[in-house]
Amino acid sequence: MKIALSLLAAVSVVVLSGFNPSGSSAQAQDTVKIGILQSYSGITSLGGQQTDSTIKLFMKKYGDTAGGKKIELVRRDTTGPNPEVAKRLVQEVVTREKVQLLIGPDFTPNTLAAAPILMEAKVPSFVTGAATTGIVGEKSKYSTRTFFAVPQLCKPLAAYAVKNGWKRVFVAVADFAPGHDCEKYFIEALKEASGTLAGNLRIPVSNPEFSGYMQRIRDAKPDALFIFMPIGELSIGILRAVNDSGLKASGIKIMGTGDITDETYIDAVGDAALGTITTGIYSTQHDSALNKEFVKDYVALNGAKPRIGWGAIATWDAMRMTYDALNAQAGAKFDPEKFVSYIHGRSFESPRGPITIDKTNGDIVQNIYIRRVDKVNGVLENVEIETLKNVGFK
Amino acid sequence: MSSILTVLFNGIAYGFLLFIMSVGLSVTLGMMNFVNLAQASFSMFGGYVMVTAMQSFGVPFLASLPIVFIVIGALSIVVERLIFRHFYNTDDLTQVLLTIGLVFMSIAIATYFWGGTYQRIDMPSWLTGQRAVLGLTLETYRIFLIAIGAAMAIILVLGLERTQLGAMVRACVDNRRVAGACGLNTDLIFALTFAIGGGLAGLGGALSANLLGLDPNFPLRYLVYLLIIVSVGGMGTISGTLIAGLALGIADVMGKYYFPQFGGFVIYVLTVACMLWRPHGLLGRQT
Amino acid sequence: MSALERLTSDHAKAATGYFALLARWNIWEVLFWLALAGMYFVPNVDLVLMSQIFIWGLFAMSLDILLGYRGIPSLGHAAFFGVGAYVAGYCGKFGWTEPISALVLAMAIAAIVGWLTGKLVQRVTGVGLLMVTLGLNLILYDLVHRSTDLTGGDDGLQGVTIAPVFGLFRFDIFGRTAFWYALIMAFLLFAVARAVVKSPFGLALLGARENPRRMIMLGAPVEGDVSRAFALGAALAGAAGALLTQTTQFVSPNTLSFQRSADVLVILIIGGTGRLYGGFVGALVFLILRDWLAAISPVYWYFWIGLLLVIVVSFFRKGLLPSVEALINRWKPSKAEEPSQRVPPA
Repeated sequence: MKIALSLLAAVSVVVLSGFNPSGSSAQAQDTVKIGILQSYSGITSLGGQQTDSTIKLFMKKYGDTAGGKKIELVRRDTTGPNPEVAKRLVQEVVTREKVQLLIGPDFTPNTLAAAPILMEAKVPSFVTGAATTGIVGEKSKYSTRTFFAVPQLCKPLAAYAVKNGWKRVFVAVADFAPGHDCEKYFIEALKEASGTLAGNLRIPVSNPEFSGYMQRIRDAKPDALFIFMPIGELSIGILRAVNDSGLKASGIKIMGTGDITDETYIDAVGDAALGTITTGIYSTQHDSALNKEFVKDYVALNGAKPRIGWGAIATWDAMRMTYDALNAQAGAKFDPEKFVSYIHGRSFESPRGPITIDKTNGDIVQNIYIRRVDKVNGVLENVEIETLKNVGFK
Repeated sequence: MSSILTVLFNGIAYGFLLFIMSVGLSVTLGMMNFVNLAQASFSMFGGYVMVTAMQSFGVPFLASLPIVFIVIGALSIVVERLIFRHFYNTDDLTQVLLTIGLVFMSIAIATYFWGGTYQRIDMPSWLTGQRAVLGLTLETYRIFLIAIGAAMAIILVLGLERTQLGAMVRACVDNRRVAGACGLNTDLIFALTFAIGGGLAGLGGALSANLLGLDPNFPLRYLVYLLIIVSVGGMGTISGTLIAGLALGIADVMGKYYFPQFGGFVIYVLTVACMLWRPHGLLGRQT
Repeated sequence: MSALERLTSDHAKAATGYFALLARWNIWEVLFWLALAGMYFVPNVDLVLMSQIFIWGLFAMSLDILLGYRGIPSLGHAAFFGVGAYVAGYCGKFGWTEPISALVLAMAIAAIVGWLTGKLVQRVTGVGLLMVTLGLNLILYDLVHRSTDLTGGDDGLQGVTIAPVFGLFRFDIFGRTAFWYALIMAFLLFAVARAVVKSPFGLALLGARENPRRMIMLGAPVEGDVSRAFALGAALAGAAGALLTQTTQFVSPNTLSFQRSADVLVILIIGGTGRLYGGFVGALVFLILRDWLAAISPVYWYFWIGLLLVIVVSFFRKGLLPSVEALINRWKPSKAEEPSQRVPPA
């Protein structure tokens, strides 16, 4: 047995020492390494796929050098919201691969676990997939968010509902940290808008069956239902349940954050999604020349499926800011402080509309769109019906 | 009052759904003493076969069900002959590891063929919407589930108790060697039982896809529920699985209606309580 | 000394002699641990990955106490891991930042939880036991996950600070301190576990696994031993959890998840049960291969991991370690066998 053990240990030593892909290859002065930490496997694998497709499009359009430096990508799979793995991968890409920039990691727990490392190593990063408030700012002063902050999407629908005469609103959120946050913001906003809370529910994250909850909502007789569910089987399940149980047909207006009608998953919901009103930061239907060009190029390069969701736009804008900031430092060695101070405080034009990065904490100020799900050319789309300009992140 | 009855009805429908999904595992686990976690994968493939039949070949929903049963039944025979046959006499943990490995592989295979996203499931119009029944408004698909589930339960129980094949299966399960000595082709019977178990799992997947959604991670999400229903009911007893499914289904839905803050809990608490009270399951036999 | 006294003292000497022989450290064991320590010096080694391997190895070993030595299958072992992890997290959050004492506290609390669990499931065996442990794990996870006010939920416990070990070695971003801290703690706890399983208590566990009725006839406290085994297994698992919190300064509900319980069971079975090293070997193989497969085939790595499991089960029937052991024994049948940990024939 003992021989066996040391044999195995020896084999592992060999294996481990053989397997370090790039490690410490001498870094040329004129390369910038960007770490991409996204989910490529598991339930959330579409996110990583979307990121890759977007970056591929961006680099095809704008080349693979910026500010005279060649861009090199280092990809790692976070496998979903898995802080143990994400932290290790961030340590790996920062200390061994020596990346200078990071896009990701996705999901709030991963971002929170990675933050201290990025602060200490002074690696600017882009938050492209986490919406919790406060994950950029003092503890992460090198981070920039291109996604959205929970209040931005959760608050506006309260005023919108009351304005349209739907005063009694029932709130159903997923029973986990982002859900609790969203619930808090929405209920506050509803009170401010003089609406009434008809009831609220927290639905477990692993919940296959909604009928008990549907009955409770029906019993409360609300005018509208506000939903916050993470993208996945919950968002699909609840929209279908709302439809199947006849809640929607009984006249209750179905509203929610754009997670429930994200283009990547909306086809699985089917016609049950029609008429759903959501707040979102981006829709492929957004009517601007920049967006039309973006969508056309994306589909031409990556195919029509999987569809473009808001994760793609967050990545696109991160690349846009990266290239612009690098171009501003052309000819000099990469300086993270200058990189960050270029981006923070600046406004950009994005396919989603105008965005501004706050000077003091790197969070994003952007237009929030109220959309409704309609069929456009036989395809379910989020059609923008109202625009709220320059919504802050608080 | 109508709220309570509607919730009860929905609970019964959910119970039948759990029964339909788990009965395949109960058959193989109880009858053949083989821990086959890959049943969850068979369910997933059943769902995918249904979707492909309906969307790529235009087969109507009802007609796709027997196709699913046959295809997945055949698939399970293939897997049984190629792989499982060699592991019948190994211990439970080995079987667990083997079948978990197969589950992982099935997830990647499903991703490869059908993509990583959720499938669009459209039921025919006569199964959607609600119907008025006895003064209550009930979802049509759930009525359908209850009808099919009840039919399956009756066929299986009667089949096992009343038919010759059922008698042969019970003989093989009780004492394989003696059954073989009596002239029964135990290999064939086992393979057949496996096929039926697999076909049932596939059917379960196809029938539940409308309510539960279908994507490559289906097996990992529902494996725990399968284990719970089969254990609580008692291995290998069809009626046990039915009772466990109904009890837990009703408890879950009613729990979510009356005590939403404890919604997700109820099923786990009941499982723990039940297993402490009767470790062999509600209708399980003490072997 | 009378004849009777001489007889009993001879027996006593034989018994202690037996246990002393059993507990002697073997050169290969020493080499194994030295090899692990030596990994630090391999160029370009991923120190953080190694520290996580040590932690998983310790975790799997803790399950081995229950599963391999006592024959209790548990599908909810991550519950103890999570308890230890959160205790260490709360210590770090509320000012008790010294790591080693927090580790001891985490072990103590996890041991209590384990002991209580053991009491609960004393009379349950087989499937019932599996489902009860699973159910308890899922309930605990659910509670922790949704009590976002207390635990931060998915976002993790905020404000966890861990002081440098001995006030000198900060947990740095290169993972150096994490490597040594995890390795040394894992080794110390391994040594403790090793001493326990090679003691009369360990033998009693093995006996109860093989033939509980015979053990009862011998007067062994079989039922009490279940709780004690649970307490020991839980303490070690809690230690692993605390180590994870301390080396990553982060704790979230996935330390208690069913996924983790399933993973540790798979790791242990791969390595081989009933030998304390199985957990470490399994962790080495599984984590390194998983990392490698995820890097070369990110979307389909599930397929390769599944295939790995099927291969291990097909060709290494009882796990890697026992199979290699069997292979080596076949080569050298004449080599005198040292007292093994298996129950000696009656």
